[in-house]
Amino acid sequence: MSQWLADVIDRAGSVQDWLSPVRGEALATLQNQQWPGRRTEAWRYTSLHPFDALLAQPGSTSVQVDSREFAIEGLESLDLVFVNGELHTDIGSLSLPAGLSISALDQPTDNARSVAGQVFTQVKPERHLFGLVNDVLATSGVIIDIADGASVETPVRVINLVTDKVESHNRVLVRLGKQATATVIEHGSGDGASMNTAFAEYQLGYEARLEHYRFALHSADAIHIGGSHFQMGEKSRLNSTLVGYGSQLSRLDVDIHHAGEHAFAKFNNIYLLAENEHFDLHSTIEHAVPNGTTEENARGIVGDNAKAVFNGRIHIHPDAQKTLAELNNRNLLLSRRGQINTKPELEIYADDVQCAHGATVAEIDDEALYYMLSRGISRSQALVMLNFGFVQELIEQMPNKALRDWLQPKLKTRFEGMEVK
Amino acid sequence: MSEQIEQAIARKYDAGFVSEVESDTFAVGLDESVIRRISAMKNEPEWMLEWRLKAYRSWLKMDEPDWAHVDYPKIDFQSISYYSAPKSMKDKPKSLDEVDPELLRTYEKLGIPLHEQEMLAGVAVDAVFDSVSVVTTFRAKLEEAGVIFCPISEAIQKYPDLVKKYLGTVVPQRDNYFAALNSAVFTDGSFVYIPKGTRCPMELSTYFRINELNTGQFERTLIVAEEGSYVSYLEGCTAPQRDENQLHAAVVELVAMDDSEIKYSTVQNWYPGDENGKGGIYNFVTKRGLAETNAKISWTQVETGSAITWKYPSCILKGDNSVGEFYSVALTRGRQQADTGTKMIHMGKNTRSTIISKGISAGHSSNAYRGLVRMGPNADGARNFTECDSLLIGDKCGAHTFPYIESRNPSAIVEHEATTSKVSDDQLFLCRQRGLDPEKAVSMIVNGFCKEVFKELPMEFAVEAGKLLEISLEGSVG
Amino acid sequence: MMLSIKDLHASIDGKEILKGLNLDIKPGEVHAIMGPNGAGKSTLGYVLSGRDGYQADSGTAQFNGADLFDLEVEERAQAGLFLAFQYPVEIPGVSNMEFMKESVNAIREKRGDDPLSASDFLKKAKEACKQVDLPLAFLKRGVNEGFSGGEKKRNEIMQMILLEPKLCILDESDSGLDVDALQVVANGVNSQRDGKRSFIVVTHYQRLLDYIEPDYVHILADGKIVKSGDASLAKEVEKTGYAWLGAKAEEADA
Repeated sequence: MSQWLADVIDRAGSVQDWLSPVRGEALATLQNQQWPGRRTEAWRYTSLHPFDALLAQPGSTSVQVDSREFAIEGLESLDLVFVNGELHTDIGSLSLPAGLSISALDQPTDNARSVAGQVFTQVKPERHLFGLVNDVLATSGVIIDIADGASVETPVRVINLVTDKVESHNRVLVRLGKQATATVIEHGSGDGASMNTAFAEYQLGYEARLEHYRFALHSADAIHIGGSHFQMGEKSRLNSTLVGYGSQLSRLDVDIHHAGEHAFAKFNNIYLLAENEHFDLHSTIEHAVPNGTTEENARGIVGDNAKAVFNGRIHIHPDAQKTLAELNNRNLLLSRRGQINTKPELEIYADDVQCAHGATVAEIDDEALYYMLSRGISRSQALVMLNFGFVQELIEQMPNKALRDWLQPKLKTRFEGMEVK
Repeated sequence: MSEQIEQAIARKYDAGFVSEVESDTFAVGLDESVIRRISAMKNEPEWMLEWRLKAYRSWLKMDEPDWAHVDYPKIDFQSISYYSAPKSMKDKPKSLDEVDPELLRTYEKLGIPLHEQEMLAGVAVDAVFDSVSVVTTFRAKLEEAGVIFCPISEAIQKYPDLVKKYLGTVVPQRDNYFAALNSAVFTDGSFVYIPKGTRCPMELSTYFRINELNTGQFERTLIVAEEGSYVSYLEGCTAPQRDENQLHAAVVELVAMDDSEIKYSTVQNWYPGDENGKGGIYNFVTKRGLAETNAKISWTQVETGSAITWKYPSCILKGDNSVGEFYSVALTRGRQQADTGTKMIHMGKNTRSTIISKGISAGHSSNAYRGLVRMGPNADGARNFTECDSLLIGDKCGAHTFPYIESRNPSAIVEHEATTSKVSDDQLFLCRQRGLDPEKAVSMIVNGFCKEVFKELPMEFAVEAGKLLEISLEGSVG
Repeated sequence: MMLSIKDLHASIDGKEILKGLNLDIKPGEVHAIMGPNGAGKSTLGYVLSGRDGYQADSGTAQFNGADLFDLEVEERAQAGLFLAFQYPVEIPGVSNMEFMKESVNAIREKRGDDPLSASDFLKKAKEACKQVDLPLAFLKRGVNEGFSGGEKKRNEIMQMILLEPKLCILDESDSGLDVDALQVVANGVNSQRDGKRSFIVVTHYQRLLDYIEPDYVHILADGKIVKSGDASLAKEVEKTGYAWLGAKAEEADA
């Protein structure tokens, strides 16, 4: 076991709050965990050696937040700002639309306590080591509840800014009631030599609809490990987009669990890495009941010395008949010093299902390339144009226009900075 | 109708008989003295014994792998006998006439007559019974062409330099747990050497038979194709129906020099155990080929037997423009478990690989494809295409796909696709409306699903493989 | 009597579709069954051929003296009942040729005939292909794999010719065909009319009956035969539609 994890377990003992009973269970599980090494399948391509010389220390900082860092033109959202893991927003000062209630994790209302009772550690699978760390240490976070039948138009955005050499942990718990509708954005960024875990759990009730975004735009020396986990109620709908940059170490786990029949989940993810960035995305789709549908698309571009890891698992449980599940992963590698490791997985225990996955690396449309070359465009430029196109496609599928308009040029600039070698 | 499909895939194992042959069999157990005895039985030179002992010492320090999608009780390596040979084989028979007729009958019953005049023209056979090679046919004809085809135990004596030069170069002793064990205790297997510029005039084939109770079979095959040569090799395997599990841990190494081609086909029909999972062979096999410049290695496998299959015939595409192929049909029924696939390691420029995998799961079985495609930093212009299709028959089985793709070269292209389907009620209804019984209908649909792979088998064996699936699917529809 | 259906009731998923159908067919006769969508036309073909989920609730069907409902699907086929599907399914990898060879020989075996040799079969298959204007290459292709709608229909008729059944049920074999293709299908069918073989031609439109002349026309509505007549009844239907059947049929049509 690493020294760091031993310290975590030590520190967990002194965390005393209203969630302690649940944290205690998580701690017991955590104590039995192995520190992942190369032979740990879930960490096969991602080394945790940055933890051997961690610059970030537990504690707090006092920093001025520059709201321009995360401002998005045209987006009118209810922002909850975490800086180095601490909530900087006065929730009481927000004017919340009907049906929406938000509570700080350390100042829960009675309703928030009941939501947490249903959601905290109930959606996120136990197997995520850092999820357990977050379970025992995350004392800051928010609890969001959308009442039955409420349709909340304004997106709720949870901003997670890391600046300093601080270790921090924060948690988001969301419950969407029966036929409730909402948009939640998890927006993380920062390039400090920080260590942050950020886990979010979502429970979607009967016919609930969630539009979800996770922007993991941490870069440079940041270590960011987190996850978004969804439990799909009967006939619920999820439309989720994840965008990742990669940093010294970025790792995200997404779980979509079909717990009720006839649910529909669409999950798109984009990763765009340069320099020495490392980005690792593991997604797991659990079809535990019949008649569920999942469409997942992952597209990544890797330049310089960057390394991308994608692991997309679809698991069809026995009796989950009539499931439709598809996963498509496309990658482009721009540099011979870069690396792409992808593993789409199918694990199927029911016969009357339609499941497929596909993965490609650097597959280009020869005809289109030839066409562009014949018009005098250089090979490398043509490749850039052709390949940004497939990332673009996923951006265009994002329902929120302000987010599209913000992300598109941002990613394009980033992509064009990568040299095709 | 799925009930009828279920019935149609109920099994019958035709090769499950036991031959009444008196054998010299080592007491169970494994230590250095056992290895010394195996080496002595084979009359091996000192270097070979040292090689074995080195492997054994490595093995002792290794852990049994647990990453495969299979589940079985821990193997007690001390309860296995590591050597068994028919007594009649003690004084090496000089010709077929001196071979125990019971042994010949065994192979005849399996459809492999060893008298040259009765054989399929154009196929030479090495027949391995437990730990020894019984006979190798057509040797004279092959020698004319300069081709060496003999038991590996004999090659160690007669061609020590060749064996020394290549043994363990493609699958190192410490490659994995079972390869290390094999390196320590291997008993027999085939050795093939095709000289420069030679097209092997016949199909070569080895037929492996496990007969004795409580013995493991650890064969070792080494095929060397010199520059510009060609060989097509096929192996088949069966074992008696027994309630105990038996271990088969083989190693196959292929060396394909510049511009050569090796085509390696397997029809694996080890005893799979009964419908409740009692008995059957644990088939833990390491197969790998090294392809030099412009060389081609093609693996084709039809896996219908074994209680557990753990097998990843692989290609190291070292030379520029080298080609690797893997065509596989894996059928699991009853309680069978298969975790099989391939590794394509692209090192050279413009290397190409194709993977076509067809998994059919029925009953309570589990069938997994596990593959690795790696594009190294120097694999400029390399390409891979992979297609993995799973067919599920019934809702109690599992079909899984675990492809690993690792790319470090921006000009390399990897394409992977996987799909899942079932024998649909509509297909079954159409076949039955045309007068076919459900068994025949299912077997026909399954054969159609596998067609892409069967066409890669040497013609003589494609028919056999099709039949094997048919026999395997034959059941007890009333 | 070739086929004798008495008071046939059948339901699918608990909904009654056939509600007391009677029909007698003698050797050599061609019976057209017309009717609005949802009247139960396709259901009749499925119940007679024994498709799963299409069991008869009550009533009988005697086929050449045997009780059809006592037989398995393939036994009915082996006894000489052929259904040309409206939407034939694809069977990837299984060639048309091997499929038909197995099928022909399964039926021959039942009749006590020796299996056809490969060359005899090939000869017959080629002829059958020619009759429905399918290129020989179709014999090598997977069963219906990648065939157009019209090619699938012609493939069904090709199979019918090869299998030499006693009773052919053509389920909307005209749907989706242009006039030329329709004529090809009809010619194929007509070539098999030999005075002994009987046909049930299920169709929504009169059009097909211009080419395959029926001896009898039955109107099937709401699970029963509501009117029977000769070929002229089909012409009448063409003019008046099915509206005259009343509100009930209209509803079924919707």
